[in-house]
Amino acid sequence: MTTAPRPAVTRPAKAGWWARLPKAPYLFILPYLLIFLAFWAWPIVSSFLMSFKDSRLGAAAPYGMANWSRLISDEFFRTALRNTLVILLVQVPLMLSLATALAVALNSRLLRAAGWFRFAFFAPLVVGTVAYSAVFRLLFNTDFGIVNRALTSLGLPAVDWLNQSGPAMTVLILAMTWRWTGYNAIILLAGLQGISEDVYEAASIDGATPWQQFWKITLPLLRPSLLFCLVLSVIGTLQLFTEPALITNSGPGNATMTLGTYLYQQGFRSFNFGYASAIAYTVAAIAAIFSVVQLRLFGRDE
Amino acid sequence: MKKFALLSALVLATTASAQSSLSGTVTVWSWDAAAKALESTVPSFNKKYPNVKVNVVDLGNQNVYDRGLAGCAAGGVDMPDVYSIENNEAEVFWARFPDCFVDLNTKGADKLIRNFPAFKWTELTANGKRFAMPWDSGPVVMFYRRDLYQQAGVNPTAIKTWDDFIAAGKKMNAKFGGKVKLGVIANGQDDEWFRMLANQNGCFYFDNDAANVTVNKPGCVDALNTVKKLLAAQVVATGDWGGQITSFKAGRTASAMFGAWYEGTIRTNAPDQKGKWGVYQMPASRAGGVRASNLGGSALAIPSASKNQAAAYAFLENALATSNGQVTMLKSQGLVPSLLSATKDPYVNQGQAYWGNQKIWKTILDTLGDVPQARGTQYFQDARQVMIVVQADFVKGKYKTAKEALDDAARKISSATGLPVAK
Repeated sequence: MTTAPRPAVTRPAKAGWWARLPKAPYLFILPYLLIFLAFWAWPIVSSFLMSFKDSRLGAAAPYGMANWSRLISDEFFRTALRNTLVILLVQVPLMLSLATALAVALNSRLLRAAGWFRFAFFAPLVVGTVAYSAVFRLLFNTDFGIVNRALTSLGLPAVDWLNQSGPAMTVLILAMTWRWTGYNAIILLAGLQGISEDVYEAASIDGATPWQQFWKITLPLLRPSLLFCLVLSVIGTLQLFTEPALITNSGPGNATMTLGTYLYQQGFRSFNFGYASAIAYTVAAIAAIFSVVQLRLFGRDE
Repeated sequence: MKKFALLSALVLATTASAQSSLSGTVTVWSWDAAAKALESTVPSFNKKYPNVKVNVVDLGNQNVYDRGLAGCAAGGVDMPDVYSIENNEAEVFWARFPDCFVDLNTKGADKLIRNFPAFKWTELTANGKRFAMPWDSGPVVMFYRRDLYQQAGVNPTAIKTWDDFIAAGKKMNAKFGGKVKLGVIANGQDDEWFRMLANQNGCFYFDNDAANVTVNKPGCVDALNTVKKLLAAQVVATGDWGGQITSFKAGRTASAMFGAWYEGTIRTNAPDQKGKWGVYQMPASRAGGVRASNLGGSALAIPSASKNQAAAYAFLENALATSNGQVTMLKSQGLVPSLLSATKDPYVNQGQAYWGNQKIWKTILDTLGDVPQARGTQYFQDARQVMIVVQADFVKGKYKTAKEALDDAARKISSATGLPVAK
């Protein structure tokens, strides 16, 4: 078998990479690229540069480390970081365990009107954040709220929910759990439905109890979905703003101030964008570290 | 000589015609009741300048601040002709964006200096420039429920010091079994009681040169001690802005201390309590001490980007620098004039039906001259944030003494602002 002579490639000898470059695709994405550069890339660079300027001195301020050295010694920043981590360590595990239980329940064939339940648990997410925050403020009002009404009618003492640090944090955690559990449950439900029935059938034949099935089959196979929820929740918590801003107003004192509300306070109340940029970069760095750690710990594929 | 007279007549004629020939539109940004008050001065303005159309836009307080900062940051884009600004927040603008607003001295505001009390100008001037004209002020006063005081056997005219006030509160607690308090303090959410009391004692976060942190001076120490004493004696409850309103509406608060602009808040939120309320001066820290203070108050500025600055200034002059304009706003929305001549207006000496026919405006305005100067500076929000926390911690018992708490506050404010703590 003889190989046919290859046709000579007619390539102009002098043409460089530019001429060889197919232009059309780049022209098509050019508008996006320009917008991306102007509204995404430039602000990211610009805020990094700004974090080295004391923006309170006006436009002529020299570059320096003032914001970063303030960040290191800033007790308020530490408080915000601590509060955020408390929410992360308490609320996220609580919410994800609830969501998993809920997803399993919603997936059960014993459940009637499953569609209705799925909607009901997803519904809190449809409610506007501002509206639900206002409702929570009312529910937990010390003098007029229904929660204290209920407590006192049961003979329990009323709690000054929003004016004490511990209770204020509790309200925040309850509110966020109420709002986001259903959302995570729906994601996990989708994950559950991807698990083949055959596995469970095989397990039942081998005599595994439902409890064993949950621990040995459901949870391991659900891991990618759980990881997805976990990463989303962690990043969401690090950016947490609406609830502490609207339900507790970061208070009492700074008891429920998060990185998000502190960033906002510095940026938009004190109009100190330089310092706010330094905070923003720190939050982004923490989020990145957390995500990498989670992917390393839970994301390994067997 | 004749020539000179003729010339001056000509000059007069041209300026007069220039005034009446003002035309175009003046857009005003303001908020809530303040916007309604400005709106109420438009008819008198249009009598003088029929060709100027005034467009008052109610953006809400926070929005005015946010959009103003954004507009200034963008070099004056999308700014109105007249901009409302709170005194406490004013210096953020002058410090970060000195070119964003017109120096009103160039429009003739330097001639009006003596028409307003000195403390109102402190925050509105920077580097010799006069960036805004004083509008309303917030002389602090104690609003009280006549009926509840009477039932508890408390005589408001006998309350002269904070100790008297605490004694009255104990009577109130005894009478109503603790169900009715003598006030609501926003501990943990705000530090306004501390600020009112500190100002009364001639102390504030910063000195009037905005060069030093002075929050640990004796006047402030005294103020913080009083706040704790009030809470410890349980004569006041804790609650934020909304909680305070709910409380007096429900009849659980027998008095409220605020800047006098709170008059409208009480009157419009509890119309059914008409005739039951009255007013007395805030108690002093010691017998014979100052019974005046200031909380809040605003000003009007003209952004440099305004295309119609002459008409905008004419609007400012009519609304703020005439008794008629200021009293119109007092009548419509209870905005307390800072123009000194407005305090002599006959309306001020009339009894007010809602307030049991008491001449409350006289009581309130009479304190204006006693208000000690204080300056928010561009670091007001940073300092306030520190003080809210320190106050709450002090009340909780985290510090041994008020002095220790305020030394800590001073250190924190200093590290946040870069200003030294005063020796």
